[in-house]
Amino acid sequence: MKNLPIVASVLLAAVIIGGAVAFGGKPDGATQAAGNVSMEGGKQVIEINVKGGYAPKLTTAKAGVPTVLRLKTDGTYDCSSGVSVPALGFKKALEATGVTDVDVSPQLARGTIEGVCSMGMYSFSVQFM
Amino acid sequence: MEAYTFHIQGMHCKSCTLLTEGELMDLPEVTHAESSLKTHTVEVTGEFGGRTQDEIASYLTEPLKKHGYSLHLDKQAHRVRWADFTYAIPVAAAFIGLFIILQKLGIVNLAGSGEMTYATAFIIGLIASVSTCMAVVGGLVLSMSASYAKEGQGARPQILFHIGRLVSFFVLGGAIGALGSAFQLGATGTFALSFIIGILLLILGLNLLDVFPWTKKLLPTLPASLGKHIGRLKGANSTLTPLLIGAATFVLPCGFTQSMQLYTLTTGSFLEGALTMTVFALGTLPVLALLSFSSLSIKKMQTGVFYKAAGLVVIFFGVFNLMNSLVAAGLIPPLVSF
Repeated sequence: MKNLPIVASVLLAAVIIGGAVAFGGKPDGATQAAGNVSMEGGKQVIEINVKGGYAPKLTTAKAGVPTVLRLKTDGTYDCSSGVSVPALGFKKALEATGVTDVDVSPQLARGTIEGVCSMGMYSFSVQFM
Repeated sequence: MEAYTFHIQGMHCKSCTLLTEGELMDLPEVTHAESSLKTHTVEVTGEFGGRTQDEIASYLTEPLKKHGYSLHLDKQAHRVRWADFTYAIPVAAAFIGLFIILQKLGIVNLAGSGEMTYATAFIIGLIASVSTCMAVVGGLVLSMSASYAKEGQGARPQILFHIGRLVSFFVLGGAIGALGSAFQLGATGTFALSFIIGILLLILGLNLLDVFPWTKKLLPTLPASLGKHIGRLKGANSTLTPLLIGAATFVLPCGFTQSMQLYTLTTGSFLEGALTMTVFALGTLPVLALLSFSSLSIKKMQTGVFYKAAGLVVIFFGVFNLMNSLVAAGLIPPLVSF
């Protein structure tokens, strides 16, 4: 078994990285949608907090209704402040602290739209059903 | 006058030809030396008295030893030290695992909210240096540091890199503040730059692994002819290159750097802009310096392990950057998201 040490080291590496991916959890509420969709003057408003990524990462909303995507920054100096939502043709460097509303017409409020940060490591998606 | 051809062990980069030639020509006995990266040989002409070829080879090796080269009469086979990987793989995995955990913990959320002060700028810098910016600037620093250490160069290139970085953050930060317009790259520019950096990190990482001899040829360096004109290699490639790379980090795609630049825009003053960007760069310094100088503190025996571990980490960052640039450009769906 000449290869035993190298096999052992690869296994150890897999355990370390696997463990980091599996157990390095995010603070609560980051992954699951929690009441971030509301109605406001006949429009569906989806709130996304933008800081160190996007929260919630996955939102479920009603399809085919006039919608506003509300992006909230609060002292956001990381890459997530550079948002682009290709399906809406939206791309902007948000202010470090503020609120940005993006209008989504009923025609566009369909399927799944994805937003991604300017460097590609953070993303969020909204599922219209 | 006698002429000999020797095989050189340790030739791994374009600048090696200049370095070996320079060192050999400094010897009084040598009238001419010409090395080739392609064949890993050097042709030496000179007066060596009645010494045998073996004696000449070990005599000529003397000045080259400190740079990690040695001359031999026979061709030396490229030997891959696979045993090093036994330790390098878990070390690299631990580093990558730590990086993933830091991202998952949402460390970037620690960056202050509210008013921007110099203290906040410093803290944002600190956080940036362990966040995803680490994948870009940290990867570059690590690969540079390990590559220079491999060439047998001391702390100088690393220090020059950090000087170049701080000076460019001061000057360009000030310029943004005074002019009120940022050097923001468009979407295509950002994509191209991230993509190129990804590829560059991949090449540098593969080269550090020292498994595939052909990766050496891909290494970008100042063309040898240019190096000769600017002065002996020791001057040109090892002073100018790290300074320029350090200065260029100002425009590297890193979210934190970009939003700091956007903030600097609003200051409207040279001094305030310059200081904000410099303090931010100072915040990134501790972690980057740790990466820079880690390669110097490694004991001789573990260098093989260190280079391979560094190579694996740099390759990881390279792949990470490539993937992210494709995601940001909307070419592939996001596979991992922190």
